[in-house]
Amino acid sequence: MNKHTAEEQSGCLVNRRDFIKLSSGAVALLANTALTRNVLAGRQGRKPKPKNILLIITDQQHIDTIAAGGCRHVRTPSLDRLKTSGISFTESYSANPVCSPARSAVFTGRTSSECTVYVNGRSIRSDIPNLGQWFSEHTDYETFYAGKWHLPRTYTSKILGFKVINTGIGGFGYLCDTAMSHACEGFLRNRSKSKPFLLVASFMQPHDICEWLRLNMDNREELRYPELAGELPELPDNFEFDKNEPEAIRKTRLGNEPFKGNWGKEQWRYYRWSYYRNIEHVDAEIGRVLHALEDFGHANDTLIVMTSDHGEGMGHHQMVRKSTLYNEAARVPLLFSWPGYVSGKQTDTTHLASGMDIMPTLCDFAGIKPPENMRGRNLRSIIEGTSARSNEFVVTEVSTNTGRMVRTEGYKYITYKNDSVEQLFDMKNDPGEIRNLAARTRYASTLTEHQKLLREFESKLDVPSNVPNAGVWQHKT
Amino acid sequence: MAKKQRTIVGSPLTPTLLKELDALNKLPFTPEDFKPDGNWVSTYRIWTCHGYQESGNQNVGFLRIERIGGSDETFVLNVRQEVVQTDAITHIIDGKIKCSNNQLASPVEWKLKSEFIGADGKHISELRSGDNSIATERAERTTGDWCLFEAVQRLALDAQNSFSFDLLERMSLKKPDHRLSYRGVTLLKVDDIDIPLHCFVQLGSGILPNEYWLDSRRRLLFVTSMNKAYILDEQAEQIIGREVEESRKSYQRKREQKL
Repeated sequence: MNKHTAEEQSGCLVNRRDFIKLSSGAVALLANTALTRNVLAGRQGRKPKPKNILLIITDQQHIDTIAAGGCRHVRTPSLDRLKTSGISFTESYSANPVCSPARSAVFTGRTSSECTVYVNGRSIRSDIPNLGQWFSEHTDYETFYAGKWHLPRTYTSKILGFKVINTGIGGFGYLCDTAMSHACEGFLRNRSKSKPFLLVASFMQPHDICEWLRLNMDNREELRYPELAGELPELPDNFEFDKNEPEAIRKTRLGNEPFKGNWGKEQWRYYRWSYYRNIEHVDAEIGRVLHALEDFGHANDTLIVMTSDHGEGMGHHQMVRKSTLYNEAARVPLLFSWPGYVSGKQTDTTHLASGMDIMPTLCDFAGIKPPENMRGRNLRSIIEGTSARSNEFVVTEVSTNTGRMVRTEGYKYITYKNDSVEQLFDMKNDPGEIRNLAARTRYASTLTEHQKLLREFESKLDVPSNVPNAGVWQHKT
Repeated sequence: MAKKQRTIVGSPLTPTLLKELDALNKLPFTPEDFKPDGNWVSTYRIWTCHGYQESGNQNVGFLRIERIGGSDETFVLNVRQEVVQTDAITHIIDGKIKCSNNQLASPVEWKLKSEFIGADGKHISELRSGDNSIATERAERTTGDWCLFEAVQRLALDAQNSFSFDLLERMSLKKPDHRLSYRGVTLLKVDDIDIPLHCFVQLGSGILPNEYWLDSRRRLLFVTSMNKAYILDEQAEQIIGREVEESRKSYQRKREQKL
């Protein structure tokens, strides 16, 4: 199973159309024929606007978990289709690698500290509009939401600015993602094609790995399924970790199940195998929604955006889950697809992107200005290939507003409040973030530059004083 | 207030663990004349585990499967699954599956209906969907997850037997390269008596391993998979029905308080 290339996998997958459907409507093909439409619209002096927008969010998805992106341990035909039909950003970062904070940034374009969502289970500050509120007020899109919200409740039938079409069950993605994708399918089947919509399909998976960790914490001498021994993914190159890390990272690691359970290497590999199966699960559910888009005639009129709230440790640096600023937890998939308007098969490996960029980017596609004080940037010109202008850097927060990361083209700088250990990584020559350069005199000026970038960024923020450590970041360094 | 300490379960769900976690109070009774290839109805509680011993573990729905014998070549499974979600939104899948009488109960033809019921107890018409489908010749080595609930009851309890197939999950999502094999007998202690349970294991893409647990009359009692379990329970529909009612009332109370 884990030896196929993406191409082989796509070839051997059988989708629903291998069964003869007796009653479904005509199938609309994903026509990638008309980049000319984009050109024509440009000549007429206006930007094309998608009739519909579908924002797909997964929960806790490591960026390197898409077969078409080179991951050889999974079959992800649905994410492969999305990836190959549009543009994907490889340097895309969560604004805060924890569920609620990350989501607050996606839905507002502001930092999680500004939203006052510095930990899970808090609401977005009431004077900052969310995507649904902004679109309801300024566009003709009707706004719908299905699935996980977590601002503050994990699932709720009441979200400001959205009509909620389905909720879910907290912590049980395997069950509730099925209900959620069915709800989206029903919505797309019954929705009049003449009425524009913004639909958020927010899946819980692969987050079930959190339950998996608790149900597999104890050290086992033997693999529960010995027949899997030959299929388990290898350990990552950066499995070992630096003993001189900031205290916050060390504490997080020691509190995780692998350390409590004293795992052996085979158990780590079984955890990675299990995580990949959760990825395949959510991929299949995403597939149901994509098929419904096609089957009911919305595919060519819909801009699809796909991302995740944060990544997953996956054994890199012997970490699991999230809450750190290493790439495995901080980077997330970010895909844009719009047949005929966004060229397919683009992998953008140079431009930095943030979860905060989604709000201003969607506003541009919808033909409206974003709310004031966006911290994210509009990625549309990069998506459409009309400009190479990029984020000079992105900032990510973490740990109840005690940690910060600045990622520039070449380096990543990490700092925590009241911790003298800083981290600086050369992301071109050390993408696994193994060699901390912060204490090396040769990199002193690089370190200073990144500290300055962070200070300047922080000085522009509007963080309420009731947020823990609100004042720290403007003065630190 | 100090955060309440919770105990991590630590190991995968098994029938013994279900009992320890109070998901299973008594062993379901299988009549002497139970015939896996006859006509029967089995209803399972869908129970979920958050990974802690003390909290977050709950019944979230039920699955009812009715087997109706047909010709020598086919039989029918009538399936209904209800899952109750936050704020009393219930998802219901109804299916009628004509299966081949082969070892894997491969689906031949099926009708599916998915619908949602809101907190007010009314159907949400905007979310209805459904499908009628027939299998092509390529589907010979395919089976559905619900079909496997039936098939494992007819398979030989033989460790040498192993089956390879593609899974059609919920009769709609294709997941290739699955295998099912017999794992042997495990004893479950109930009232100081050791009850033998036979176990089949299913591995494959897009799922975490499923373990199917049968009693000595070959009736499927439990299916465990990571954080969920299907537990044979003739009261399952009533239990979930009560929980739906309570959930709706609670939702309405909250709404009224806000108003």
